[in-house]
Amino acid sequence: QIFDDSGKDVTPQPLFHLDPNTIHPKQSKLFSSQDATVAHGSEMLSSISIQQTGATASFVGPFTRSTFGSSSISKSSQSTLESMTEETEESIVRRDVSISLSDYQVRREVREPLTEESLNKIVAIYLTETETMELLDMPAVMVSVETEEAQSIREKNEAYMMLCKNRAGNDQYVERMMQTFDEAPKNKEVQCEKINIADADIAVMATTWDMYDTFNSEETIALSTKAAVGGPVSQSQSKSSSQMSLSRGQETGMSKNSFGKDSYSSTIIDVDNAIVAQIPEEEQKSAEEILKSEKFQQDLFVMERILMQNVFQPRQASYRQLPVLTVYIRPVQPKMFCTNYYHNKYPDYKPEVSENEEFKAVSVKTKTPSLDRLWSFTCELTKGHNVSSMAWNKKNLDILAVGYGQFDFKEQKGGLACCWSLKNPVWPERIFHFESGVTALDFSEASPSLLAVGLYDGTVAICNVQSNQDTPVLDSSDCNNKHIGPVWELKWIEQDRGTTGDDKGEVLISISADGRVTKWHIRKGLDSSDLMKLKRTGNEKIRKLPGDKEKKSEAFISRQAPGMCFDFHPKDTNIYLAGTEEGQIHKCSCSYNEQFLDTYKAHKGPVYKIAWSPFAHDVFLSCSADWSIFLWRQDLSKPVLSFYSTTKAVHSIRWSPKSATLFGTVNEGRVEIWDLSVSILDPIVVSSAGPGAKLTTLLFAQTTDCVLIGDSDGQVSVYELENI
Amino acid sequence: AEVEETLKRIQSQKGVQGIIVVNAEGIPIKTTMDNATTVQYTGLIHQLVLKARSTVRDIDPQNDLTFLRVRSKKNEIMVAPDKEYFLIVIQNPTE
Repeated sequence: QIFDDSGKDVTPQPLFHLDPNTIHPKQSKLFSSQDATVAHGSEMLSSISIQQTGATASFVGPFTRSTFGSSSISKSSQSTLESMTEETEESIVRRDVSISLSDYQVRREVREPLTEESLNKIVAIYLTETETMELLDMPAVMVSVETEEAQSIREKNEAYMMLCKNRAGNDQYVERMMQTFDEAPKNKEVQCEKINIADADIAVMATTWDMYDTFNSEETIALSTKAAVGGPVSQSQSKSSSQMSLSRGQETGMSKNSFGKDSYSSTIIDVDNAIVAQIPEEEQKSAEEILKSEKFQQDLFVMERILMQNVFQPRQASYRQLPVLTVYIRPVQPKMFCTNYYHNKYPDYKPEVSENEEFKAVSVKTKTPSLDRLWSFTCELTKGHNVSSMAWNKKNLDILAVGYGQFDFKEQKGGLACCWSLKNPVWPERIFHFESGVTALDFSEASPSLLAVGLYDGTVAICNVQSNQDTPVLDSSDCNNKHIGPVWELKWIEQDRGTTGDDKGEVLISISADGRVTKWHIRKGLDSSDLMKLKRTGNEKIRKLPGDKEKKSEAFISRQAPGMCFDFHPKDTNIYLAGTEEGQIHKCSCSYNEQFLDTYKAHKGPVYKIAWSPFAHDVFLSCSADWSIFLWRQDLSKPVLSFYSTTKAVHSIRWSPKSATLFGTVNEGRVEIWDLSVSILDPIVVSSAGPGAKLTTLLFAQTTDCVLIGDSDGQVSVYELENI
Repeated sequence: AEVEETLKRIQSQKGVQGIIVVNAEGIPIKTTMDNATTVQYTGLIHQLVLKARSTVRDIDPQNDLTFLRVRSKKNEIMVAPDKEYFLIVIQNPTE
């Protein structure tokens, strides 16, 4: 209740008033409480007046006390009585009205005490005449015959009658359509109660998919239940439950329709028919169920990838050689050499660096080839592990398998093999734990989900990356012929095994430090057969020098030379090269397992990697711990070219799959890209490793100009080759 | 457990402002943002997803909505809808 200065009630009234006819119990409560204040009375009055169709339109709106106290009240109340009786009302409403009448009388009585008090006062009353207000003016349409205008009016009337007669069929008159104007709308605010949709499923639009869903669910029900029942059952279903039933396609369930016929349950257990006519409430899963469901996990997985895409977009786009979206380029100051590829792509983008620096950066950028670091695959799980090997999946080129294991004998800890996807550089898709370090990896080509892993303890394991489990599918630890020394290289090779009776198929070949090159096949478990035993050849440096005594040939502890690496000829899969720890490279054939075809001796230290050139089939490269890289031709026993660039052991060497003269090497401190067409003395690009990490492995990307470098800290960094 | 790990990783990803998981009725069951924002996002996005799904299925009823991304000037809202829940992630990728 709000009163203004003069005591008038100016309580804000709601615009909508409850309909007294239908909600009379409420109002009778109001009045019976004898709380007949002005507000209620005015409410009642205005509500009644709203009901009437324009009879007392002038009474709508908030009232103040001053408008009462006139005979208009009695008029309106009387007229309300009359209008009430016209409608088909119960006596209760009349009671309401009579209550309201008495209410007004009460009000009038309230007035009287005031007037009595003020009777003694001398009140001056001023009477003035206001100007005449015309409320209604209706000009007369009748004129007396005796007036002056009578004649003119008569003439006008006759003229009009003539006009009317001539009108029909006259050319001067044309029928026309007219359009009425829409008057300016007046806004009136209305409040109403909340509209309760009793059953949310009833009030729906008939959308295409809704019809499709109900049609489908009808069909599935008709299949298993009798046709007569099918119609009403589908009608009794609500839309959402039919949707649910389709989604639970593979579940068998009881059909809990309103008929409750349990005999149908036996016919319904048919996996192909999705007949779950459950009530919608039962379909709502609880929060924990949702959070644990498979579907949720999958959605999270996809969401993570999409987030990564957003975060890594510029770099991944440049990896895939797609246009980079400018939205994601943050206005960073290009400090390092690596990040100024923004300059290259957006030459009009001017960061806040000094003129000289910028100019220098741009000019350097456009001329020389360089390596740009895009991103790196790393997570806490892999930190501290040494990256020992990397392999691309043969079928899905986005999947990379990385093996983590120490090279040294002293630092052995557990090993990991992780499958990373390009789409998520933050967490690997699959993680396989092993007890000993992983030293070699390869994906199979014939069955692309098989990953062969070679371990430091000589075990060869085969994992299936399709499944989520941590353990390998097959293991060679029970095998009789397993390797005794670390498996340094593993490869799946497509071989033509016609002579041995098997079909042309894929074989897994491994070489290890126990000096054996073995071929593994999977028949009832992993079993192996040796392809070659790498015999130690005598150290030919110990020749008889003139004047020296004859020396006995050294006694070997083992007759076999540890093998470090091998590579099969790209064209002729019978021939392969094997590099040993002694520094010799043997050319062998699968058909002979006693003799080498040829031996190439030039390295003084263990040969870490051999690679045939994918373009020139007679040429191969070898790198070794004696700081050197040699380029050989198949038929020459001395290397054709040698590359010395550092004083560190060269761990890995690979040919680029795109360019015939390009290859990359990794030694402990840096990565070098050599281009033989440019220079045979120096690498064209050199990129140093960060402090504390030694670079260990290198892999070229198959389709794009990128190279992956693994280091001893567990990071696999992706670099893009520019300007090569 | 894997679900929680993944959620944690997503949450700690660069630029992610919040994650909301909403059940089929439109009630958020898991959220990393404050109440007011969660309720607002839930209500608005719920309607949007229903509309989007209705649109997709109207054109071809055998089709269904699998993912919805709304990119605005300041951030991106990604919604993975399902029959039983929605997964909403809000990210500001340039942060």
